[in-house]
Amino acid sequence: MLQYTFRRTIAVLPTILCLIVICFFLMRLAPGGPFTSERPLPPAIMANVLERYGLDQPLYVQLFTYLKNIFFNFDFGPSFAQRDRDVNDIIAAGFPVTLTYGFWSAVFVLVLGIPLGVIAALRQNSFWDYVMTGFAIFSQIFPNFVLAPLMVLTFTLALGLLPGGGWNGGQWEYVVMPAVALGTSYLANVARITRSSLLEVLGSPYIRTARAKGLPERTIMIRHALKPTLLPVISYMSPVFVYMITGSVFIDVFFSTGGIGQSFIDAAYTRDYSVILGLAILYSVLTFVLNLAVDLAYAAIDPKVRSGLK
Amino acid sequence: MTLLSVENLSIQFETPDGLVHAVNDVSFQIGRGETQALVGESGSGKSQIALSILGLLAKNARTSGKILYNGRDLLAMSTRELNKIRAKEIAMIFQDPMSSLNPYMTIERQLNESLELHEGLKGDAARQRVIEVMDAVQIPDAKNRLRSYPHEFSGGMRQRIVIAMALLCNPKLILADEPTTALDVTVQAQIMRLLEDIRRDFDTSILLITHDLGVVAGACEDTLVLYSGKVMERAGTRALFAEPQHPYTRGLLRAVPNIHDDDGELHAIPGQPPNTMRALTGCPFAPRCVDAVDACFATVPELTGETRQRACIRPVEELT
Repeated sequence: MLQYTFRRTIAVLPTILCLIVICFFLMRLAPGGPFTSERPLPPAIMANVLERYGLDQPLYVQLFTYLKNIFFNFDFGPSFAQRDRDVNDIIAAGFPVTLTYGFWSAVFVLVLGIPLGVIAALRQNSFWDYVMTGFAIFSQIFPNFVLAPLMVLTFTLALGLLPGGGWNGGQWEYVVMPAVALGTSYLANVARITRSSLLEVLGSPYIRTARAKGLPERTIMIRHALKPTLLPVISYMSPVFVYMITGSVFIDVFFSTGGIGQSFIDAAYTRDYSVILGLAILYSVLTFVLNLAVDLAYAAIDPKVRSGLK
Repeated sequence: MTLLSVENLSIQFETPDGLVHAVNDVSFQIGRGETQALVGESGSGKSQIALSILGLLAKNARTSGKILYNGRDLLAMSTRELNKIRAKEIAMIFQDPMSSLNPYMTIERQLNESLELHEGLKGDAARQRVIEVMDAVQIPDAKNRLRSYPHEFSGGMRQRIVIAMALLCNPKLILADEPTTALDVTVQAQIMRLLEDIRRDFDTSILLITHDLGVVAGACEDTLVLYSGKVMERAGTRALFAEPQHPYTRGLLRAVPNIHDDDGELHAIPGQPPNTMRALTGCPFAPRCVDAVDACFATVPELTGETRQRACIRPVEELT
């Protein structure tokens, strides 16, 4: 298992390198640059600025300088748009925020979604099953950009219970609404997937075998049905996790959390090359780490996958 | 002495399209140490009879009649009471060993959990017993295979594991639902011999469910022929094979390819199995029966006779 993890980690390095190179050139292909504006700078100043950021060098030299700084100094360079800040600072400021509410959002989704799905499956076609199905549909027609304003209207303006935005160092009142607004539609999907997965598992012959042993229903559920039920949920959650902890642009903007999603949008508008690249690398590393985590979770559950890893 | 007595068992399933009549008024007994065969084509309700004995029918099933085990009605029992009988007193060997084992649990765990539950055996004592039973069903190198998962075994080995599972608590009755269907013929013979040994050594009763007449011929004293959930004929196996007295049984036996009787033809029973969506109004086999007369369609034939029974309104002498 360890060896597998190690091999996967080694294998991902060239992938990330390719990604950096492709992103680097794609960005330069787009018209404009960090210092173009409606009122052009005098050529002398422009030349000065370009020289300061190394933009006067040929592209391949820029690329090598960039890569060198990353691999030897873990330095993603200065921001082109925000004076006196570099990419490391921007990520260090924004990422903990999205990581925090993204993490709680994932907790919210799993801790509520799985039990909801289980209850719906065990009471198939009952009142609670219909409530769950109704909730799933509800959350699809109320995506987060509708849900978030509704929540602010209710909990901030009408009831005065929660602050309508801001972060304040990540106090819980400030985390609740971003986490819930971000997670609700995934919660419904997780509940739905859990429900159908559990129904399928409970109808399988090996559960009948377990029943024929005289095991109590509780033991059958926990010992025999739980693992196979969770497999599709894990598959579903893998990309969702990445999305959640890298933050939603909408959530960041609407709740003014100062999260990383906001930085991405700003950087794209201002052609802030180094910030865009830095964030792209962050996203791809996270995607890799979480995919690996999901694969390992799969291996932990499914012995067939486990024997395939060797 | 009668161990299990099935009395007027009927099983229906409620489906969106209406009621499916899977089993109609079936009665039979199994004595201690006896082997009873239940023969019929797929859809004849034979598996459902076995499942109903252990209370494992699907949720939409409705039953009537009685299944008396040592005088207690299994159909009337709560799941809690049934759980004390399942595996401990009556164990089932499921068909399809590919899907009857949990793919996410080791063989050892799947075997020792019923020991833990019914015998209170844990740790080394349980392991000992598991290895003993695995040896008994001739799984080679049992000791080193305890931590393997089902997918690491071949089909034949998995079937043996399923059988081992049923033997663990020395049950009084084993319901063997097509125990050899998934296997090739040589393994089939081994498994049948194994079941026979168990019956002899432990005085275990066996209900053998199969569509394979060859399996029945070698293994069972008594055979029940089922068609469309109804008993057509019941007789000692030898007598049944020597002179079948019901047109359906005759058709079945004629359909077994015989290498000596070389006329180059495969004999099938013409027609299709009946639609179980309707309650019986006549003999279910009548539409396919070569000997059917008008009366066959109008009355449901009673099962009559003493040592051997048949459900046919036409006298044996008049059959073709």
